[in-house]
Amino acid sequence: MYGFEAMTFNIHGGYLEAIVRGHRAGLFTAADYNNLCQCETLDDIKMHLSATEYGPYLQNEPSPLHTTTIVEKCTLKLVDEYKHMLCQATEPLSTFLEYITYGHMIDNVVLIVTGTLHERDVQELLEKCHPLGMFDSIATLAVAQNMRELYRLVLVDTPLAPYFSECITSEDLDDMNIEIMRNTLYKAYLEDFYKFCQKLGGATAEIMSDLLAFEADRRAVNITINSIGTELTRDDRRKLYSNFGLLYPYGHEELAVCEDIDQVRGAMEKYPPYQSIFSKLSYGESQMLDKAFYEEEVKRLCLAFEQQFHYGVFFAYMRLREQEIRNLMWISECVAQNQKSRVHDSVVFIF
Amino acid sequence: MVVDHETPSLENGQTDKEVEENANVLQFMDSMDAYLTLIHSLSSTLRRGWLELASARHSMGASRVNTVLLDHTSHPAATSLLVTQDEGKVDSGKPHFTLCKWASSSNENSLLGEKHSSQDKLHPQLRHRGSTELYEEKTSSENKASREVDDPVQKERSKSLSMFGTLVSPKLRAAQLSFEH
Repeated sequence: MYGFEAMTFNIHGGYLEAIVRGHRAGLFTAADYNNLCQCETLDDIKMHLSATEYGPYLQNEPSPLHTTTIVEKCTLKLVDEYKHMLCQATEPLSTFLEYITYGHMIDNVVLIVTGTLHERDVQELLEKCHPLGMFDSIATLAVAQNMRELYRLVLVDTPLAPYFSECITSEDLDDMNIEIMRNTLYKAYLEDFYKFCQKLGGATAEIMSDLLAFEADRRAVNITINSIGTELTRDDRRKLYSNFGLLYPYGHEELAVCEDIDQVRGAMEKYPPYQSIFSKLSYGESQMLDKAFYEEEVKRLCLAFEQQFHYGVFFAYMRLREQEIRNLMWISECVAQNQKSRVHDSVVFIF
Repeated sequence: MVVDHETPSLENGQTDKEVEENANVLQFMDSMDAYLTLIHSLSSTLRRGWLELASARHSMGASRVNTVLLDHTSHPAATSLLVTQDEGKVDSGKPHFTLCKWASSSNENSLLGEKHSSQDKLHPQLRHRGSTELYEEKTSSENKASREVDDPVQKERSKSLSMFGTLVSPKLRAAQLSFEH
């Protein structure tokens, strides 16, 4: 019951909440990012990171470094922290933590299927998969010819199985079908995660509802913008939007018929939380939209830590770390390409 | 002293040969200047393209934009070069170069090349820098051609991006346009 969590939460979740709050304290501050932005080479970045919690993961990497190496090693740190929390968690926290990784699982499935369609080696594809989204039979995905086989041979024994009910057809896997499969799976996953959090109730339900609704709305906007000028029909586009969120259902009706970024702006500015996001952009521009959404997301994720005795802090921490890794990736790319003047285009400060 | 304005080369003590050499040197310097300008423009466009690609990877995620997804199946080149000899011209020894590619609609020269490649190859167009004949030949048929090539051009672009998915970020499309230019 909401309000009495303080009495019982710490019995099973107290240790892990303390752990995750400790991890949160290790996130980079604006001063750390400013130091990183001053680096001239990737080796300088490695030197700066060696003094942080990422140090042990990068210390054995030989020069010259590559940006993908930095991202991979930093991701390994996140994976280690996640696995430590997962093995210590009891129900329902363990299920909650597993839900956080299903998005990566979907990305990995689509990566394997797409790469196989383009005749790439399965081993190379597996190396590029996100470690948080791995499962035992993932390599078998390469033999499936259509979605029915994909489900029957591999995914029926994975946590993604329930999300496939809307995708199962005998159509061959081509680029459009794969894209629709990706977004349909993610839609089903978000809705399922949302319902799970609602069932948990209390502060977890309140905080996670807000965070997942924002995620659903952002996905709706991205799907709309990315599908402008493509073969995706309005009906197909509408079917990819989640059935919850601030934009559901009237915002979705407007987004489904948008043909350019200004129409998207017109639809979104009717909602006060998104009016502030689009006010940062000039008309006709969409380049800075990602950064604006990330900044809003970071703000909401940081607010999750202002309350205790809920599972939202775990979700928020994972997302904040992923944002930090995205920042490191962008800074590394700007340094490697000698484009340091553009480094602040996409870095989102957390603190 | 009689000043002969019709033979300025003699007035400065230069022979015709020297005047011709000076003209050649000036032409060489002009060409070098044009070459350096193009190199600089190419370098800056490539830098922009690489940064836009990194931005697309930042936006879409490393699992959607990575080297592993590059298509290893065979496909035609986005740009081809047509080299012809124009027999109708006096200086028919000079080769004529025509770029044919599926470029952006803002690049009128490339569209003209696209239009040319789809038409009669016995009438090549001179595409040397500074030539005015090319622009005099532009007629309203170019507008029709631009609309006709837009759809196949967009289809080719979408097809080449399909390895990264069908719903890709506008940043990835911008990177593609930069590399096309």
